[in-house]
Amino acid sequence: MPSPETAGPAARRPTPEDCLRRVALGDRDAFDQVYTTFAGPVFGLARRILRDPAQAEEVAQEVLVEVWRTAGRFNPQLGSAQAWVMTMTHRRAVDRVRSEQAAEDREVRLARASAVVDYDDVVETVENRLEQQRVRHCLGALTELQRESVTLAYYNGYTYPQVAKLLAVPLGTVKTRMRDGLARLRDCLGVGR
Amino acid sequence: MTMNAMPDVHTLTAAYVCDALDPAEREAFEEHLAQCASCRQEVAELREVTSVLAKAVALEAPARLKAAVDARVAVTRQLPPEVGPEFGSRSGSGREGNAREKGQTGEIGKIGKIGQPEAVAPPSGGRVTPIGAAPSRRRLRGPAWAGWAAAAALAGVAIGLGAHTASQQQQINALVQQAGVMQQLLSAPDARSGSAEVRTGGTATVLDSRSRDEAVISFAGLAAPPPGRAYQLWMIGPTGARSGGLLTLPAAGNPNPVVAHGLGDAKTIGLTVEPAHGSVQPTTAPIVLVPMGS
Repeated sequence: MPSPETAGPAARRPTPEDCLRRVALGDRDAFDQVYTTFAGPVFGLARRILRDPAQAEEVAQEVLVEVWRTAGRFNPQLGSAQAWVMTMTHRRAVDRVRSEQAAEDREVRLARASAVVDYDDVVETVENRLEQQRVRHCLGALTELQRESVTLAYYNGYTYPQVAKLLAVPLGTVKTRMRDGLARLRDCLGVGR
Repeated sequence: MTMNAMPDVHTLTAAYVCDALDPAEREAFEEHLAQCASCRQEVAELREVTSVLAKAVALEAPARLKAAVDARVAVTRQLPPEVGPEFGSRSGSGREGNAREKGQTGEIGKIGKIGQPEAVAPPSGGRVTPIGAAPSRRRLRGPAWAGWAAAAALAGVAIGLGAHTASQQQQINALVQQAGVMQQLLSAPDARSGSAEVRTGGTATVLDSRSRDEAVISFAGLAAPPPGRAYQLWMIGPTGARSGGLLTLPAAGNPNPVVAHGLGDAKTIGLTVEPAHGSVQPTTAPIVLVPMGS
């Protein structure tokens, strides 16, 4: 466990976790740092899932305010600040997509969406080149079914039954491929514990 | 790995992390998570993985996003931390530990409530003066500031504390009205926000729009005024200062944001220390001045 208090202000650059801890104390400067770290990824992910920039901006705004509001509930023992913020963002963006979809004809939507399976599209919009290359490389190391299961669910916001339908494979296959895919990504990216 | 009565459940971790479960499955899986330490571990690991996928699609956020977020942060009350067994007055059971551990997951699940006023909040001593009830509390104000009102924070407002507060329904109405003002202000094309340090400590933030002729003023970290004195808000323009009323500080936490309708010629929001019942004109130098947009 890091103990930010003992390190002294100049000892090292505060981590996002340190900043969140300060944010929980109402520190607006720390929130500015958190904003600088995460605004791009939050907006980018919302944009990737929702496509519509205006809606992505709304979701990003809501998530970043929620980071401020719930910073006191962040527990660094349960995961990184990045995982916490991006999980919120993903959930929020996907919920937005689903509520919209409910109002439309699902079949039409799915048919239209099946054109967007290309994973290259996922990395094209990347700003952070190193991260982009790393992710591209690791996605490329997956089997096609693993890659498509992960990217359709994560970047397009589909449920696994929708993914199964798009890929024309059984539900159980999608679930396991998704899990195998993420596990291989974990090893390839060298993240997790 | 032990395979038990639910052989399938471990394979759901990935779909859960990708938010690829439907609401019923999501809920069922979260219930299972509370009981399954290895599942929680796996979910935590996979979330680190997906967060890298997320970072890889980062884009530059539009500049106006910062202003919008700052404006809402200035009027958003923070949730207190959940107090786990190690901080409580008695030692907790393992069950409580699990519940707390689930908190991070649970909180994420609650994000759908963003922007909606919450009727429940921890006791803070915060006091809510509903819009429309405020003028009668401030006799010194003339008709010019009849439009001023203290209002509840956008999210998280203390309900029903003290006999003098209005009925819960009135407070909820005030909250909804406040949320409406905020939303409309934020969507105004000329909405802008500014903030300044208060000389005696704390920060003042003003969100305003000329086209809507409205402003929301909020304060964070204000010290209590000296004994027998009070804070008074002013709208300051070329023709002088108009009182915005006294700023009521709760026993703990930040005062509720104040909504100003009818900015007139005012260019600046100021705060002074005045006698407990307020002054007709400022009698001391402002401890903070926040310029508004023109």
